[in-house]
Amino acid sequence: MNGNWEPGTGNRAPLPSRSRFLAALGMTLLASVAQAQAQTGTYVIRGGTVVPIVGRRIPSGTVVISGGKIQAVGANVQAPQGATVIDATGLFVYPGMIDSGTELGLTEIGSVPGSTDTREIGDFNPQDVALTAVNAHSELIPVTRVNGVTTVVTSATGALMSGTAALIDLWGWTPDEMAIKPRVAQVMSYPSSGGGGRGGGVGGRPQGDASETASRQVRAMRDFFADARAYADVKAKLAAGGSVPNAPRVNQAMESLVPAIRGEMPIIFDVNTIDQIRGVLTLADSFKLKVILRGPRDAWRVADTLAARGIPVIVGPTTQVPGTDDPYDAIYAQPGVLAKAGVKVAFQTSGASDVRDLPYNAALATAYGLDMDEAMKALTINPAQIFGVADRYGSLEPGKVANVIVTTGNPLDVRSNVKYLFIRGEQIPLTDRHTKLFEQFRARPKP
Amino acid sequence: MKSRETGDGRWEMGSEGMSSRAGRRGIAIIPAKGPLSGRRRSLAALGMTLVLGVSPAFGQAGNAQRPAAAPAPNAQQPALDLTAVSLPIPAAGKLVAITNATIMTASNGTIKQGTIVIRDGKIAAVGADVPVPAGAKIIDGTGKYVTPGIIDAHSHSAAEAINEGTLSITSMVRIEDVLRQDGISLYRQLAGGTTTLNILHGSANTIGGQNAVVKLRYGLPVDSLKFEGAPPGIKFALGENVRQTNHTLQPGQQGRFPRTRMGVEDLLRDAFTRAQEYRHNWQQYDAKKKAAKTASERAALIPPARDLQLDALVEVLEGKRLVHCHSYRADEILMMLRVGKDFGFRVATFQHVLEGYKIADELAKAGSGASTFADEWAYKMEAWDAIPYNAALMAERGVVVTINSDSDERARRLYQEAAKAMHYGGASEQEALKMITLNAAKQLGIDKRVGSIEVGKDADLAIFTAHPFAPNARVDMTLIDGRVFFDRATSPTLEQLIEQMKQRKPHVASEEE
Repeated sequence: MNGNWEPGTGNRAPLPSRSRFLAALGMTLLASVAQAQAQTGTYVIRGGTVVPIVGRRIPSGTVVISGGKIQAVGANVQAPQGATVIDATGLFVYPGMIDSGTELGLTEIGSVPGSTDTREIGDFNPQDVALTAVNAHSELIPVTRVNGVTTVVTSATGALMSGTAALIDLWGWTPDEMAIKPRVAQVMSYPSSGGGGRGGGVGGRPQGDASETASRQVRAMRDFFADARAYADVKAKLAAGGSVPNAPRVNQAMESLVPAIRGEMPIIFDVNTIDQIRGVLTLADSFKLKVILRGPRDAWRVADTLAARGIPVIVGPTTQVPGTDDPYDAIYAQPGVLAKAGVKVAFQTSGASDVRDLPYNAALATAYGLDMDEAMKALTINPAQIFGVADRYGSLEPGKVANVIVTTGNPLDVRSNVKYLFIRGEQIPLTDRHTKLFEQFRARPKP
Repeated sequence: MKSRETGDGRWEMGSEGMSSRAGRRGIAIIPAKGPLSGRRRSLAALGMTLVLGVSPAFGQAGNAQRPAAAPAPNAQQPALDLTAVSLPIPAAGKLVAITNATIMTASNGTIKQGTIVIRDGKIAAVGADVPVPAGAKIIDGTGKYVTPGIIDAHSHSAAEAINEGTLSITSMVRIEDVLRQDGISLYRQLAGGTTTLNILHGSANTIGGQNAVVKLRYGLPVDSLKFEGAPPGIKFALGENVRQTNHTLQPGQQGRFPRTRMGVEDLLRDAFTRAQEYRHNWQQYDAKKKAAKTASERAALIPPARDLQLDALVEVLEGKRLVHCHSYRADEILMMLRVGKDFGFRVATFQHVLEGYKIADELAKAGSGASTFADEWAYKMEAWDAIPYNAALMAERGVVVTINSDSDERARRLYQEAAKAMHYGGASEQEALKMITLNAAKQLGIDKRVGSIEVGKDADLAIFTAHPFAPNARVDMTLIDGRVFFDRATSPTLEQLIEQMKQRKPHVASEEE
């Protein structure tokens, strides 16, 4: 587990290990020290059915957590001395789930503008960094994690270029502490001339000039990428000791696109229709971009192409109505079609207050053709791979970050509950705004 | 990307019913055999007039007449489309038996390997040892789960318009007048096992319009939607929507009374005071008319002016019209209960009622039902204290609770929403099932007809491939009055569509470039 510095990430420490980070900066904040100490706890979860995602399920297995990481997983594992033992008999042990598209931490109450930071003015804001505005103390965060979602991608959306998304764990005192990858991907929306039901067009422009607007936006987007390509070339030349007449001064927007234009940072494209998907593929070809499709309705039409090109698809939310002329089960059935074609699939809720419903989004897909094990992968190891953290996240394997949930059953089953929750090896209390209000008013005396 | 299915709960976004409207233009694509993707545009253009006009015979004949070879994607489409615009209208089931199924009755537990006999649209027998009558059409329920047809206690589907949002009192307008066969959206709800909808007026006004209870008899003429004999009702609304606090006034536009929760109470009390007076005037007139000895005496009497707004409110006062009151906060709910008490009527249901858990005892005592979301919260200020434990906690305190959709989307998977009452707060399986079936029937006053699998009730049933609360549960078949209105086996699916596209090479090639 190494500090995973991204190219061009500025001064943000990704904080894979808080203690190392704190030591490096020589910080002695009391609160953080207390948390760092909690992290060193050693836990043995035993007797449960262990579902490591990578590898076979272990009927009566043991998972050892220490130093924030998974130390051991197996049927015959020695419990270390002094460990806190958790009896998981009759329970199930899974890695924490990952939501590949949220606004978590960026919005509190949808209709209260003062509480939302999800949409900047302007169409091109690639330099905006979502992590900057993540409220680590949002009430929505505990509500999400107690349902077993431990990690999310969060970002602004809706602009042609909305800025970089952050990959964060749902635990930490500050945004920096939460971050796994402070800048995990650029988030962009491909222009739409409408169609495919809901969500056509960017910025809610009138339908009449949608087509014209879309083609203008595509042109603007291509220009922007072309500029970024030129900027990156100049930068490379300068770095190699060359001189460039009239070399540009630092341009924040261009600077932020350099990793993407070099293919080092993926771009999440929020798309819907087949036209948008084709547009993204063309863009990817033109500029050698590493793209991820998110939210498409029509990806099933080009499943084989996407599989052949190794383009991952983040599906969802599945809690939408299909396009007007699509079969009734189109949204539910698409994830299964993509997975069967060999596309790497992950899920998003695309929301904030409803991120806790992530497993139920996947459940709807299992009813219409997505294999149950594939669905669990799409909530764990697949997004870890898509976002380049599979060496640390997405499964129960020794050496990985200990994001672990212990449940009463299949997490996709609404009837299941999370009994124990670990993020980075810390046992997290299963309380949130909702459990508190529940307890409070359940105890209300009869009037 | 993040625009969501919005309904009553989110009226402030100005999109109540909007998202569903897009779905209404379309029509069902029939199982069929044509290149579905190729017809998308023309199908939409043809619209639903065709659906209504097509007889079952036409539908079948049409399929038979399907051209053997497909035309090029853009050529002569209407000719092909005509073969596929309507679902076959289900035959009236004279005698049907669903055999060997797990039957979740919602009223009397679960029957393993049971049989349901349907005669003339009614449940004639149900149980483990029920003989299958000779001549019955058999639906093999082996491995399947049967539940009562799901009742959505809060819907805005199947209506041409939702909100007469100009006045604070619109008790004279009726959803019934703007019902329509709503195209594909109704079909998709059927595909989620939903059979009955409570179609409510929107929440723009403190006193909204009159609701309509319908059965999802998709494919039949619009008159066939109405749930015969369902008690009439009316929509009330409190809080942010009627206060219009989330609206941006246009230049020159004036704000509307009321603007505060105090104003909302005042408006209600004023309206019902006028209704009482109006009723009194009519009562006096009727009494005088009765007392009149001669025809000329009678003719000399002048009746009070008829007021359609107050007519509906008088029905509320007399307990003949059920009040379904959109509400969020505990304080406003208590206010509504006080107003009801002072004017002598029961509020039949509080809709949304997201803080109902704070005053569950008061709701139970007043005999008001609560119809809520499973886990929606934080979308506006008055939803900030909403908790997913709301349904289970209210039920625990004796309130008749339902979980509703308020959305064309959630109405397709209310079974999953109901299971959340088990997840949050530990409702029992049957209690959770009742929240989308029997309790909804009770709230709407139609529980003698629907809501549970009991002898004598309408054969409105959903047949699932697995336990309805299991993650991979899917609806296989939906029956209303014993007629199969949805059958996955004959329904157009994505899998089928892909298969067709593969068979049509040139077409696939053009799709795939």
